[in-house]
Amino acid sequence: MNDQSFFDLAMKVIARHATNEERANLNALLAQEPELRAEFERLETDARVAKDALSLITACTASTAEFPAYARELLQTAVRQTLGRPESVAKEPHRSLAWGWRRGLGLAGATVVLLVAVSVVHYKRERVQELAVKQEATPNDPAGHEPVLTASGRLLAPNGPGLLTEEAFKQAAAQNLPVIQLAIFDLGGDARRAEKNEVTTLEETWKGIPIQNLSNVSELQAWRWPNEVGQLEARIVYAPGVREVWLFGRFQGRVFQKTFPLDRDLATTLQQVKAFIQEPTKR
Amino acid sequence: MNLPDLAALKTGDASAWDEAFAWLWPTVFAVAKLKLEPYLPNEVQDVAIESIEQLVEKVTEVKSVEELRPLAASIAHHRAVSLLRERFAKKRGEGKTGSLDAQTQGGVIQNEPPSSDSPLEDLEQAELAQRLGKSLAELKPPMGEILSDFFLQGLRYEEIANKRGVAVGSVGVYLKRGLEAMRRIWLREENS
Repeated sequence: MNDQSFFDLAMKVIARHATNEERANLNALLAQEPELRAEFERLETDARVAKDALSLITACTASTAEFPAYARELLQTAVRQTLGRPESVAKEPHRSLAWGWRRGLGLAGATVVLLVAVSVVHYKRERVQELAVKQEATPNDPAGHEPVLTASGRLLAPNGPGLLTEEAFKQAAAQNLPVIQLAIFDLGGDARRAEKNEVTTLEETWKGIPIQNLSNVSELQAWRWPNEVGQLEARIVYAPGVREVWLFGRFQGRVFQKTFPLDRDLATTLQQVKAFIQEPTKR
Repeated sequence: MNLPDLAALKTGDASAWDEAFAWLWPTVFAVAKLKLEPYLPNEVQDVAIESIEQLVEKVTEVKSVEELRPLAASIAHHRAVSLLRERFAKKRGEGKTGSLDAQTQGGVIQNEPPSSDSPLEDLEQAELAQRLGKSLAELKPPMGEILSDFFLQGLRYEEIANKRGVAVGSVGVYLKRGLEAMRRIWLREENS
């Protein structure tokens, strides 16, 4: 039997395509020639590795899945934060980054936009990430923590000084009825959007409070807290794209953030949020 | 689809990245799905998006645009495997593993992923990307397709011959050469 015939027979057996007779033939060959047994074992290893590797190799040439539109802005934000912007495009800076830079530079208006356009190409990744994750303090954002999302639309946990712990938030809520604001964070595109009954559920959970509609990260970041110093504030944002409800709290200049996943449905999750905010006051 | 312009990608050009997202998406999605669909199907899209996000950070290290897809695949593979390990380690830590039989909860299979002795699991991300790139370069048509037909689709020699329009005798020859190429690329260290 030549090499190719042995290979073909071995492949049939390894792939379980062989008949009983072919298996018996192979077993007889392996019993007679130990070097063929070693070769067969090597082919078995090769086949196992090939199967694993081919799955990834095939994935490298895949072309059918369509890029979800909702991910575009999230990833473009990652590109801007990581690589900055080319000079030709930088003349019209993206709103979300412009906000951060404007605050960071401590200037306002068109002068700042021009400065951003000039300096944006010099921004290094570390600096931009620092701005994204740890915003600088401003009168509107004394703690320096605005919502930051990952590329997949999840809320990034805030860090740095000025954070309010869950316990401190609850203590504040036990003594102060929070001022509540509501919003739906609807990215549009292919992302799951809020259904009509979900909007109604949100309206009915906190009656009489208007619901803001936010359609991108910039709007979420640009949404200003009311200037009521010392007042406990709770901002509840429903993000249907990632099936989460985000609670943002602010008290005496410190911020708090908590994510409530939609394990069952929106109504149940909103009741959890409501209980979280109101529970301490019931004691 | 045209290949994205690597120089433009490195400068953060938005339109070049739009092209790259559409071009890379099928790869990262396919890898994430391959690994996660049986255990964590709700995480497939997130892992795919996060893989492209991570790729953005690495684009400046890439020398040719052809390297991007293997790199994206290796990132997605590592993220998916890490996520599986993390989730199931957490479950074990909480003492919730219970029976190894499949348990369905909310339409998701909750059983443990089988432990893999595949050499791919131990490869560093860069090494995996390099070997994927090499495989793509070496497995010229129809060799790669025939290997996939046999090892992934489970087709017999005759079925492959019909599908690819080659002689039945040639199928085995392509398979033998393809498997030898794979051995050189993927089992290099074990053989040396």
